[in-house]
Amino acid sequence: MSIFTFRGGIHPLKDRHEGKSETRDKPVKEFVAKTVCIPVDTHLGAPSVPVVKKGDRVLIGQVIAEAAGPRGIPVHASVSGTVTAVGKMQMMGKLPSPCIFIENDEQDEWVELTPLGDVEQAAAEKIIPAIQAAGICGMGGACFPTHAKMTLPEGQTVDTIILNGAECETFLTADYRLMVEQSQRVVDGLRAAMRAMKVSRGVIAIEDNKPEAITAMQQAAAGRTGVEVATLKTKYPQGGEKQLIEAITGKQVPSGGLPMHVQVVVLNVATAAAIADAVKEGKPLVSRITTVTGCVKKPSNLLLRIGTSVSDAVGACGGYSEEPGKIFFGGSMTGLCIPDDQVPMTKANNGIVVLNEKQGKSHVENPCIRCGRCVEACPTKLNPMELRNLLDTDKMEEAEKKNLTDCILCGSCSYVCPAKRWLVASFKEAKDLIAARRN
Amino acid sequence: MNLRMSTGPHLLDKDTTQSLMLDVLIALIPATALGVYFFGVSAALVLLVCIVTAVLSELIWQVLMKKPVRITDFSAVVTGLILGLNLPANAPLWMAALGSAIAILLVKQLFGGIGHNFLNPAIFARAVLLASWPVHMTSYVLPQRLLLGSAAPSGVDVVASATPLLSTSQWSTMDLFIGNIPGTIGEVSKAAILVGFAYLLLRGTITWHVPTFFVGTVALLTWVLGGNPLTAVLTGGVLFGAVFMATDYVTNPMLRVGQCIFGVMCGVIVVVIRMYGGYPEGVTFAILFMNCITPLIDRYSKRKVYGEVKQHA
Repeated sequence: MSIFTFRGGIHPLKDRHEGKSETRDKPVKEFVAKTVCIPVDTHLGAPSVPVVKKGDRVLIGQVIAEAAGPRGIPVHASVSGTVTAVGKMQMMGKLPSPCIFIENDEQDEWVELTPLGDVEQAAAEKIIPAIQAAGICGMGGACFPTHAKMTLPEGQTVDTIILNGAECETFLTADYRLMVEQSQRVVDGLRAAMRAMKVSRGVIAIEDNKPEAITAMQQAAAGRTGVEVATLKTKYPQGGEKQLIEAITGKQVPSGGLPMHVQVVVLNVATAAAIADAVKEGKPLVSRITTVTGCVKKPSNLLLRIGTSVSDAVGACGGYSEEPGKIFFGGSMTGLCIPDDQVPMTKANNGIVVLNEKQGKSHVENPCIRCGRCVEACPTKLNPMELRNLLDTDKMEEAEKKNLTDCILCGSCSYVCPAKRWLVASFKEAKDLIAARRN
Repeated sequence: MNLRMSTGPHLLDKDTTQSLMLDVLIALIPATALGVYFFGVSAALVLLVCIVTAVLSELIWQVLMKKPVRITDFSAVVTGLILGLNLPANAPLWMAALGSAIAILLVKQLFGGIGHNFLNPAIFARAVLLASWPVHMTSYVLPQRLLLGSAAPSGVDVVASATPLLSTSQWSTMDLFIGNIPGTIGEVSKAAILVGFAYLLLRGTITWHVPTFFVGTVALLTWVLGGNPLTAVLTGGVLFGAVFMATDYVTNPMLRVGQCIFGVMCGVIVVVIRMYGGYPEGVTFAILFMNCITPLIDRYSKRKVYGEVKQHA
């Protein structure tokens, strides 16, 4: 069997199994919190508009904020109970996010659902609207509305859907557990997406450090039209959209282009599972699997309702094992830090990682010694050392000419740098400035 | 709860500037130990003076200039030790100290400290000493002790002004390999250098490209020009220079392709100097010259950025 990969990249936390050994064999357990705080603006696109007010009783799956604009998605109640406030909460962003707070009445009452039926039988043209109605957005981290990704511009076609099961980020085992335990859901979701987009080839791509997931997915895919499983080399950022496409198809997404320009759409495996629920059962996206690990007493893979606070999730794992110094959503390479543990779970949050005070400490930057490790590591083939020097000397335009905007912010350069330079951080800042200027 | 916020990556690789320098020092242990074994106390003294002067020069400069003191990154120790290993065991101690000070102050600190020197400090210092005191720099003593007792040349302790490069017939290949020959403290034992090289490769401190292309070119070109490729590699400072000096991060090219060009060019210059130049050995000048060319190589060696391709139809 051939193993697919890309050039460049790194192997982070290699000596500790990418930080995954604590949770990889822990089956998914459901945890339902007493209260939830559901943010309505976490997807890319216009924030949804709240349609409930304080004191309203809501059921699970009920729309509590309506989609705004063509890229918008509705937000649903993830527990049944009473709306206690429509307010704001400080999340990862600079400004507080609008949120809807609900107190769980523990009745677990669902709204009436209208399924489309079997993924092979359902009317193909109804699938994408059902995905939008279910409030599904990219669950691998970006939270891009899935229906918008699947709706192609006039004249554009794609021939392949790649399901991203690489899970190359450190610490995360949520996608792994999903593939091992619920492989049928994943394949059903892929088939629904393939039928909706009239695509004949569906590839489920998994890194070779997850043999159980590969076997499970192969078994689930057997006999399904056009579905295959591809084994990827374990390497970071193998699950980066562009690297994944290069590994599977041999094609590179042109600079400034999108995957569809090489006839590919990439979806996360968790997104596919959510699509299956939306089509087969008419269920909106109200919960997801999240890995809670690091300095917690019982690292776990939890099925959490959207809006569950970090402190509740950590409580479900036996609490903190040490005084936390840093907590982030996602893996240690690109995870987003949160200001305190009252921050709620989002649809895109595949992991909550707690570092202790020592691990969370800032580090001192030393002079570059030109070792070239960043150059070797860069999956985009940029020269991080040179880019950083250009940015330090205020030569933004020169840096743009050297393809700064092609940087995917994977952080490989910063990870390998022996001088501990803040490379990717400076690129993110510069890319944000460039984006702001262009808009 | 006081949480720190930053962009990723939140955990970094264990390697630091200090650990890389420490790796180089560890890799130099076999060559250093054998050098001291062969040449005795005088060799140990030369090495000690070089290291102490290098570290002190750096410390004094950084304190006087009110710059952060970085002697704990061990880069000055590496520079001092490499310079010392490049000197004959009977080199005057004042000369060793002067060389170290030149390396640290003139080449490293005046250009902005670690990472900013465009020449390899140790090798530039060696070149200065070679040009200024050629007799001191090329009067090699015979080893006081031999390893794996091979045909010992008679008259131990005699100053041999000729290097094995000029009179190779005197030494067996085994002697050249083990180091039972006159030469600088660190360069004589090829076996010890290779052990260090293997360690550096194993640890991932350096890659094989520069040393392999450097040594390979010397062997090939010597053979093409009618010489003996094996003695060409086993004599003089080719192996030591290729493994420990041409691989200096700061002064060799960034990209693999550039490193290969760098290695080949070093090899060519060494052979040209050896065969047609006024000096018996050319490693120092080859590496120095290529250090100067490095920015040029970097400028013209490009690789294709992801996505800079024509769209596939």
